[in-house]
Amino acid sequence: MNKLIESAIVLVLVAAITLVGNTIGYKFGLLEALPGMLVLLGICFAGILANRFVWSKLPTVLYVVTLGMVITLPGFPGSETFSAWVGKVNFLALTTPILAYAGVGIGKDLNSLKQTGWRIVVVSLVVMASTFISSAAISNVVLKMLGEI
Amino acid sequence: MTDAIKNVKVHLLVLGLVVASELIGILTFNVGPGKLVLLPMLYAVFIGAFFGPDFLKIVKQKDMVEASSLVGLTLLLLMARYGTLVGPKFFEILSAGPALLLQELGNIGTLLIGIPIAMFIGLKRESIGAAHSIAREPNVALIGEIYGLDSAEGRGVMGVYICGTVFGTIFYGLMASFMSVMDIFHPYALAMASGVGSASMMTATVGSLSAIYPEMAEKIQAFGVASNTLSGLDGVYMSMLIALPLSNKLYDALYRLKFGRLTKEN
Repeated sequence: MNKLIESAIVLVLVAAITLVGNTIGYKFGLLEALPGMLVLLGICFAGILANRFVWSKLPTVLYVVTLGMVITLPGFPGSETFSAWVGKVNFLALTTPILAYAGVGIGKDLNSLKQTGWRIVVVSLVVMASTFISSAAISNVVLKMLGEI
Repeated sequence: MTDAIKNVKVHLLVLGLVVASELIGILTFNVGPGKLVLLPMLYAVFIGAFFGPDFLKIVKQKDMVEASSLVGLTLLLLMARYGTLVGPKFFEILSAGPALLLQELGNIGTLLIGIPIAMFIGLKRESIGAAHSIAREPNVALIGEIYGLDSAEGRGVMGVYICGTVFGTIFYGLMASFMSVMDIFHPYALAMASGVGSASMMTATVGSLSAIYPEMAEKIQAFGVASNTLSGLDGVYMSMLIALPLSNKLYDALYRLKFGRLTKEN
């Protein structure tokens, strides 16, 4: 139970920091973005509880993404309101605190980063190219089979 | 985690980083057919890196460990937002057709090519994080939850995530032009491939393609957006059910081939 409360505290803290960044960087007022942020917090809490009490084999991330999707599905009660609210919380504003925590902690990994650095750059180029080419190859074959191109 | 929560210094530093980074804002530079994009999150991680004992000595080992321990949890809010991006488009995507659905399996090509190359140039468990997928937000969150972002796998996925964020749009802008010159794949196939799970990468690809094939531009854009939203929808599932298990099998097999023995933890 203790762990659940701790997770909740961290999420609320990050939500507050995000709201500040959201105001500075993307010009959404604190109060304007608050309902959307509360919805996002609610989704996260529900996801954590589901992982704990429903089926712990599924990662919390999966519950959270799925829940976020379900409540904004066209036809879901209140979906348009939810979409409008969370629309006031900029996606990029949510990424900054994450990388800030990672940044504060990264000092201890600088040596291992020095060793892997150029390799990671090479791998990321390979990964981007191969994802694109594999998907294009599949699409091309399927479109040809369907006679659409 | 209690210690990490009570570490007020860490939270204040994070708040400071966020304020400073958002004040600088998004910077874009036109480079050839693409754009170099610098986002506030990059400044945050870059400035943060100088807080450590090697440079400014603002944070101690304990602070760094505690800050890192919170990253996985902070990703949840982003993932909730991610889901809400996909929901409104869900039914459009379902009606998008078989080619669009099947090209999502291109992610398997990513790991089949990426993991051997990553291991060949000397990465170990980092390969799993770095090359099991294109390392966008859902993949980072999943690796964070399964291995922890502090692990070798976590460093791999974060590294590729950051590189993709910086170089992704330039790379895909160039890639689209290059592939159209090669003329192996139909522009529609390229458009469908552009949706890798990052709006900016998709926009760069679709932008280049529409400039090259203006008469097909409308359909190219529709395919790009649909495919990108689809990647957002299946990203976590694809990683968890197919890409990660397959990557681990491939890693073990290649490890045996390279070192002649079974893998050991680290």
